[in-house]
Amino acid sequence: MKITFVKKILSDGSPCKKCADVIEKLESSGQMARIDEVLVADERDPQSPGMAIAKKFNVDRAPFFVVDTGKGEPQVYTVYLKFVKEVLEQQTNEKDELKEIMQNNSDLDFL
Amino acid sequence: MNTLNVIDLDNHLQNQTPQQILQFALGEFDKIALSFSGAEDVVLVDMAIRIRPDVGVFCLDTGRLHAETYQFIEKVRKHYGIQIDIMFPDADAVRELVSQKGLFSFYEDNHQECCAIRKIGPLKKKLLTLDAWVTGQRKDQSPGTRANIPVIQDDKVFARPGEKLTKFNPLANWTLEQVWNYIRAYEVPYNPLHERGFISIGCEPCTRPVGPGQHEREGRWWWEEATKKECGLHASNIKGE
Repeated sequence: MKITFVKKILSDGSPCKKCADVIEKLESSGQMARIDEVLVADERDPQSPGMAIAKKFNVDRAPFFVVDTGKGEPQVYTVYLKFVKEVLEQQTNEKDELKEIMQNNSDLDFL
Repeated sequence: MNTLNVIDLDNHLQNQTPQQILQFALGEFDKIALSFSGAEDVVLVDMAIRIRPDVGVFCLDTGRLHAETYQFIEKVRKHYGIQIDIMFPDADAVRELVSQKGLFSFYEDNHQECCAIRKIGPLKKKLLTLDAWVTGQRKDQSPGTRANIPVIQDDKVFARPGEKLTKFNPLANWTLEQVWNYIRAYEVPYNPLHERGFISIGCEPCTRPVGPGQHEREGRWWWEEATKKECGLHASNIKGE
């Protein structure tokens, strides 16, 4: 299994806060050791590896994870806690996952 | 249906009518259902019933909807003779929230924690049973957060582990005016709150009527400042060659 983590650099050159939060969680929990590759989606450069993989998998946000098990299509995870639960098989708090979904998917506001 | 299909299909379906999009969606998937909020998205129910009378419809009952919305949901159920799956939030999660923060915590921090428990939790539970779902999301509802919503998308947020979930937004390219033209033309029942100045209708404490010239977004969570869309990747950068 290959796990790719994609983080973003904003168009003004500053790092994405959410990406920094996820990196901190990955590092403090030791989960970073499970990440095989880290790519940067630089909004100033559409050809940057992270932007290219976002385009390939039709992802419109960052950070995100691409998990390739070698069987079938790679799976994309845009919810960090969903990735932790389903791929790293670690226990997560349902309330925290729902909150993460709500915070990062403002298009769900009007449902 | 792989990712490439979804992108190509979106390009094709962008030019189709909501009815044509629904026709495609309902023909493509058996385990598909409409998310109905009890507001003007009733047009989707009306359109879908004409294509597949037994189409699945679900509502997210947050426990905080207006009495008029509950009455309207019941009216829709009887009018179309359909079964509506009413999804409820997890009682323990609601109890924990209101015990710790009170019944109106969303006025003090923001609406997201409450919405996560009362709306996203039950939505997630419902979507785990489906292969596809249909929403009434439109681009003109919120230029900041919905300007780029596709007609069809690969829903990576709610998909079952290792599986695909497809989301359809047949009204994406319709305006509010077009929705209301349909409601009038086909005499579709509508929520009486619309006659009292409510354009967008959600939970009672988080919804208010708006005045002439105001955007419907101003009738929801008006006490919160518009927040920057932190997590989006600039669409033109992704799509552009």
